[in-house]
Amino acid sequence: MRRSFQEELQQLEATLLEEGELVLRAIRGATKALAESDADLADEVIAFDDDVDRQFVAIESGIESLLARQTPVAIDLRLVLAMLHINLHLERMADYCVTVAKLVKLASGLSYEPKLLDAFEEMGERAEEMLRVALNSFSARNLARAESLVELDELIDGANRRASEQVLALGGDLQLREWGLRMLMVSRCLERIGDHAVDIGEQTAYLVTAEFREFTDASRAENVAPESEQLESPP
Amino acid sequence: MSSDTEATPVRLASPSTLDQRDTGAGAPFRESVFDVSDATVTYDGAPAVQGVSLEIHRNQITAIIGPSGCGKSTFIRCFNRLNDLIPSARVLGRFMYHGEDLYGAGVDPVEVRKRVGMVFQKPNPFPKSIYDNVAFGARVLGMKENLDARVERALEQAALWDEVKDRLKKGALSLSGGQQQRLCIARALATEPEVILMDEPASALDPIATTRIEDLMHELKREYTILIVTHNMQQAARVADMTAFFSVERGAEGQRHGILVEYDRTDKIFTQPTDKRTEDYVTGRFG
Repeated sequence: MRRSFQEELQQLEATLLEEGELVLRAIRGATKALAESDADLADEVIAFDDDVDRQFVAIESGIESLLARQTPVAIDLRLVLAMLHINLHLERMADYCVTVAKLVKLASGLSYEPKLLDAFEEMGERAEEMLRVALNSFSARNLARAESLVELDELIDGANRRASEQVLALGGDLQLREWGLRMLMVSRCLERIGDHAVDIGEQTAYLVTAEFREFTDASRAENVAPESEQLESPP
Repeated sequence: MSSDTEATPVRLASPSTLDQRDTGAGAPFRESVFDVSDATVTYDGAPAVQGVSLEIHRNQITAIIGPSGCGKSTFIRCFNRLNDLIPSARVLGRFMYHGEDLYGAGVDPVEVRKRVGMVFQKPNPFPKSIYDNVAFGARVLGMKENLDARVERALEQAALWDEVKDRLKKGALSLSGGQQQRLCIARALATEPEVILMDEPASALDPIATTRIEDLMHELKREYTILIVTHNMQQAARVADMTAFFSVERGAEGQRHGILVEYDRTDKIFTQPTDKRTEDYVTGRFG
């Protein structure tokens, strides 16, 4: 039994889950800053990204060292590779939180549409929930739970499309249009956070089944949103 | 901008090309050299290894891995009938070599060992000159024509020629451990075998000499079929196309014997082993 190696693996996983907790906080912070147009909180979210980055680098170098010294194979190798990917997904999610926070600051003082803000609050909560499911299913090696992320993602994708429609319907007020433009990007960021949660779920499935597959295939026509939900109607 | 650059269409790999990518193994399409079925070896009636069936493919390196006592050395020695030399040993089951029963009546074990050469764990050169070591098997088998050329070719193939060409008449024991092992490989190659058996060929060597032997194996598999027993899992992962994992099982009366647990492409064994026992062994959870 390679005891120290197993301990190292467990330690890396614990650090990764801690990073996940940090990103959950970042999503919560960004969502709250958005819903309450709180520029101070947005600044906190931006600064908080350094904590996530530190964790990211620690995991990255831990994995590098493990690969160099321990030559993991089979399930151990899959765990290491999955952690390498998940680490990157988490870091990206935190970056999206920073972008949301920056957009909150850019949009502050502009006139806005409260209904859309409510929708974003819900999207943010969904994104947070998705990450929680992704982290739990990874740590429990739970395939079914990981696969459930696909349905959660459809909800957030739908919300993103509706947000786009609502922005288009904002009308002619210049300030409102500028605000809407910022919010389109916010919506996109939240939607991408959901995508990364699905990607984490795919890593869990890979870890459990030893086969990598995408849960959904974005390049296939049948997975494109129904026409009615698309931004532009076909010619 | 030149017009032909503009005319070049953007080409992405078509799905069929992607499907045909070389995975580095391609084992199923290889010609079979040995076809072993239900092989059992007993010492004084007690099985050392039991019920092994597998195929060895031409121009591939097949590694046999497993814990001590799993019968991997015993098993590999069946392929050149070396167990015949142990009075208490009996080999049961079938070892087909190109469709011919290796243990069939009328098969000369010496002829078998000419076609199936062997290299052992400890370099074991004879206390003779470098030249005489390489020429030994050929002389015994009466292959005396062009002996100089035969010796040179064997030493070339064993990647030793450049180091010894100026001192062929010097004693073989003056060579370093790694050189001695390559000399033993040259000695095995000199009789033009088809198969080379290697029983822990690098376990007595330092890392640099080990790397040389592994590089050599990659070269040799173009012309030869290689079976290697190794304790070093990473060595199997590095050199072998196919890997067989042997383990130890307890019989009805508690006696221990080796069995074949899993046999597959090496990358499969080290990334997605099918059997839990294989996974436990390759990940170091064994014992």
